[in-house]
Amino acid sequence: MSVEHKLLRTVLWDFQVKELNATMGEFGGWEVPMMYTGIMKEHMIVRTDCGIYDVSHMGRARITGPDAVPLFQKVFTKDISKTKEYWMSGPTLALNEYARVKDDEMPYKITDEEWLIVPNAPYREKMLKHFAKVAKENGFKVKIEDLTFKLGMIAVQGPKTVEVFEKIGAGWVDDLRTLQFRMNEEIAGQKVFLISRSGWTGEDGFEIWAEPKAMVEIYRALLKAGAKPVGIICRDTIRIEMGFVLGGHEYGEDPKEFPPANSIRYGLGAIDWNKHGFIGEDALRAYRREGVRWIRVGIRMRKRHARAIIRQGYKLYVEDQCVGWVTSGTYSPYLKTTVGQAYVDSRYAIFGDYIEVEIRGKRYEGRILDFPLVPGRPIVK
Amino acid sequence: MSVVEFEAAGKKYLVRTDLKYTKTDEWAKKEDNKVREGITDYAQKELKDIVGVELPEVGAEVKKGEAIGALESVKATADLYATVSGKVVEVNERLLEEPELLNKDPYGEGWIVVIEMSDPKEYDELLTPEAYIEKCKKGEH
Repeated sequence: MSVEHKLLRTVLWDFQVKELNATMGEFGGWEVPMMYTGIMKEHMIVRTDCGIYDVSHMGRARITGPDAVPLFQKVFTKDISKTKEYWMSGPTLALNEYARVKDDEMPYKITDEEWLIVPNAPYREKMLKHFAKVAKENGFKVKIEDLTFKLGMIAVQGPKTVEVFEKIGAGWVDDLRTLQFRMNEEIAGQKVFLISRSGWTGEDGFEIWAEPKAMVEIYRALLKAGAKPVGIICRDTIRIEMGFVLGGHEYGEDPKEFPPANSIRYGLGAIDWNKHGFIGEDALRAYRREGVRWIRVGIRMRKRHARAIIRQGYKLYVEDQCVGWVTSGTYSPYLKTTVGQAYVDSRYAIFGDYIEVEIRGKRYEGRILDFPLVPGRPIVK
Repeated sequence: MSVVEFEAAGKKYLVRTDLKYTKTDEWAKKEDNKVREGITDYAQKELKDIVGVELPEVGAEVKKGEAIGALESVKATADLYATVSGKVVEVNERLLEEPELLNKDPYGEGWIVVIEMSDPKEYDELLTPEAYIEKCKKGEH
């Protein structure tokens, strides 16, 4: 507990601690609001009502210059040239030479020569250095500007999100399509740097970037209109249900610890096989030719084992064969049973079939399922 | 029964003055030759939402300090340790369906296990409420 002073503080730290009385904790080197009133309760707010995540710990950077597109084409597995102005590209992957994932990100296109990027919090410095290194090696003319400490960022998520925005006179946000964004708008009388229809929950919602003072005012207005603060722990439980990946769990750079990007089954067009010339491509195509040993799947525990919580590293069995391992797991208050993500040997990754998880020496039964584990999502507007 | 509130690292926790405690955040209550045990308010607040419980078998012989069960919170798994040696004579099966009782009422309906003591001296050696509060304030686990 004595290490807390070494953690980075987001631009909304004072507001979280002094006004919202958040239970703070560490994530990716940052001190972030973990919980407010209860994890399960907050999880259900996101699935049924409207919750506000403070995601200011995530990286925010602007990449400008004539070679921004070539840089992204080199770094990412998706064909970025197809992205339209004022749209997010959809998620994509930055690989290393072993086709392991450095980070999953989503470039935001303002123009061909001006982009925004949101690296995951633990990888912000690594990725900004990676962009700079790749630019230097290839003679790309770009400027990289870290905005993380200048702007706050919130994600307002849940089926009642549009209603909440209507109450504060910002019903126009409903004009945005999923993954579309606008800049320099005004919400609750405050200047907004960016608002996008996006999130990481599978629910309808918006992400807002604004300067700290404006961000706090917007936050307060949203709370007054009925939104409720929700913490980072229920961001994890929500993303596990959706099958969204997290660094250190489902992906990482070490080939001894993590399968290649092919195994992730990321979906959402994250990898474009018609694209050529990106970092990690040779290894990625080699795995594609050979076939993958491991496949990422969802696990839902049988009702009678609903409270058998599966955790990262737990082993999976079919008969007497150890056929994989759990990467993430939690209790889902929405599904009322334990759910998780796992890597399973491709020969045993049969959707719909049962598999056993070993928990403290005992076996518990669950089912191999595709994502998302929650039905009817993502809700696309 | 009386309850005292104390503060550690800026947060408030409750301790009952009629119970004994362990360094691993269990409470113990003497009931004749038996001990009822559970986890403290401090423990449940540190763990946050508890979503699963693994209980020992009734009839199991346990040793003081031995892991006899597990508590699953959304964030982590925590072992439950025996506060005394003896035989498990009762477990709170309600917790299997309603583990949230551990958060709602850790000193009451959230009790976990009853152990028939083989060595009653062990109960006397447990931490007093004052000593337990000191432990929590120092942030020891």
